[in-house]
Amino acid sequence: MTIKQTGIWKFFSSVKLAIWLLSIIAVLSLIGTFIPQNQEAALYIERYGQLGYRALLSLGLTDIYSAWYFILSLILFSLNLSVCLLNRLSFKMRSLGTMLSHFSILVILLGAMIGMLFGQKGFIEISKGEEVDSFLSRNGQQVNLGFRLKLNDFIYTEYIDPKEKLFVCSSLKEAVCMMQGPHGQEKAKGIIAEISPEIGVEAETAIADTGYKIKVLRYLPDFVMDTSMKVAVSRSAQPNNPAIEVELKDKEGKAKTFWVFARFPDIHQEIDKDFKFIYHWVGRRPKDFISKVTILKDGQEIMRRDIRVNEPLRFSGYTFFQSSYDNEGLNWSGLQVVKDPGVPVIYAGFILLISGLVMIFYLNPLIKYEVTPRA
Amino acid sequence: MPSLYFNLSFGVYFLAMVFYMGNLVFADKILSSIARFCISCAIISLSIYIGMRWQIAGRPPLSNMFESLVIFSWAIAAVLIFIDLKYKIKSIAVLVALMGLLSLGYASLLDKTIVPLLPALKSNWLTIHVLTCFIGYAALTVSFVSSVILLFKQKEDKNLDTVTYKMITFGFLFLALGIISGAVWANSAWGTYWSWDPKETWSLITWFIYAIYLHIRMRKGWKGRKAAWVSVIGFLAMLFTYFGVNYLLSGLHSYGSS
Repeated sequence: MTIKQTGIWKFFSSVKLAIWLLSIIAVLSLIGTFIPQNQEAALYIERYGQLGYRALLSLGLTDIYSAWYFILSLILFSLNLSVCLLNRLSFKMRSLGTMLSHFSILVILLGAMIGMLFGQKGFIEISKGEEVDSFLSRNGQQVNLGFRLKLNDFIYTEYIDPKEKLFVCSSLKEAVCMMQGPHGQEKAKGIIAEISPEIGVEAETAIADTGYKIKVLRYLPDFVMDTSMKVAVSRSAQPNNPAIEVELKDKEGKAKTFWVFARFPDIHQEIDKDFKFIYHWVGRRPKDFISKVTILKDGQEIMRRDIRVNEPLRFSGYTFFQSSYDNEGLNWSGLQVVKDPGVPVIYAGFILLISGLVMIFYLNPLIKYEVTPRA
Repeated sequence: MPSLYFNLSFGVYFLAMVFYMGNLVFADKILSSIARFCISCAIISLSIYIGMRWQIAGRPPLSNMFESLVIFSWAIAAVLIFIDLKYKIKSIAVLVALMGLLSLGYASLLDKTIVPLLPALKSNWLTIHVLTCFIGYAALTVSFVSSVILLFKQKEDKNLDTVTYKMITFGFLFLALGIISGAVWANSAWGTYWSWDPKETWSLITWFIYAIYLHIRMRKGWKGRKAAWVSVIGFLAMLFTYFGVNYLLSGLHSYGSS
């Protein structure tokens, strides 16, 4: 009896099994999207109770994509695919698409396995000026990089909404600069100048014909006065108390600097009896996260690079991705470190899959067309 | 100015549906020609609208629910004109135009403000990923429409079954391209090509359902009604991938809900 006649071979070569396995994998995946995966115990307990949490844990539902039954269904699926492939193994032009598209799934699964076995993934939290030469991988190992990575600077920029403005109102014209209101910031009469708080863009703006000039010096998202140093600093990168520092020059060129607060419009309004300043702040959105790094090897500087989201840094097999940052003080940057030798295999699988599908659906009908006259 | 083209698209899209409906009732060649003319106008004016928005925003307009719905209705119109010319099935044309119109109508209820792109979305993969996904979605929408008509008809209709099958092969291929481009993009942005994020997972579930459709039809010889039911289930999964995940589940694609 050849292997092809055994019951087990027949079992694994059936399309019916393939359909069942596809359905089972789909249903298990579906469950995983409704139950949060790999979260803290507290979250599950809050959602499902102590008992529910224990039940989820014992069923592997908090990490379903690594659960034994999920892996088992993938293994059975691979076996099913392999047997079907061997069973129908053919190098005729007409079968090529089917062969390629099914083989590609095995290649993709193989790539994923290579990544799991030989890949490394970890996270580096690196402060400004700090150097690191290793990282903690996900399985708890300290991995040596073989070179040093230094964070020179971390830059976080934001989009400034065109509606965000510093308004200067005249207190002479009996103007009521009412700028409150949830959305519609009504432009009250009496506004004599508008300045965009983009620092360095508008150097100096003349306030109407008063001879006064105004300039924005600094923006702090979370203004706080450091009492010991007597300087203004930002407590965090969160916009808890947005404020801008403004320089006002009078006709003689004498300058005064002061702060204008978005949330507290009445503070510091005694600066000049002729003017009232209103800082209309609009929520800012993140624009860029840039980690400026240097790579050093044996004390020698190898390269300087900027790591941004979508622009990782690749060096000696490792790739560094901008993945998080210190949203309090912007003092550190979080880099994801990845070494995944499975990726080229996965990409090869992707190319095979698409080529296979194109052949089955679009090239084969053409070939059939050419073959028909012979029949 | 751009909103003019949005409203114009809406108008001609609606007219296209009306004339397709007229053609369904009166079976008049002139009506179907007018309908085709209208849907072509809808494609052109939607293209202008998308182009203008692209120019104003300085980036491809593919980043939130509103922009994706506009792309969706554009893709539906493009697939509609193709199948209408190729298969000339009147009832399909009416209902597909209705689907595109629903998408555009839903878009009109949403906030149209152009907001700057989040750093994670600033990538050339954005265009490839969104376009392949939505061309796939549009084809799968047509397959859904033809399956539903097939299920409602008393007689088995071979043509409807063929349209369903052809559109699924096309949608399946583009869904694969969409998932793959998403994986490649995720790998270049985060260093992980697959993270079982709900959107990813649901797109894979959808792809699996259509894989099942293809296997039962090509290998098991299920045609007509039985296969049509699988196509309907696949479309429901696609809708959940598109809307359900954004509104009900959280994950990497959370920006898609605004």
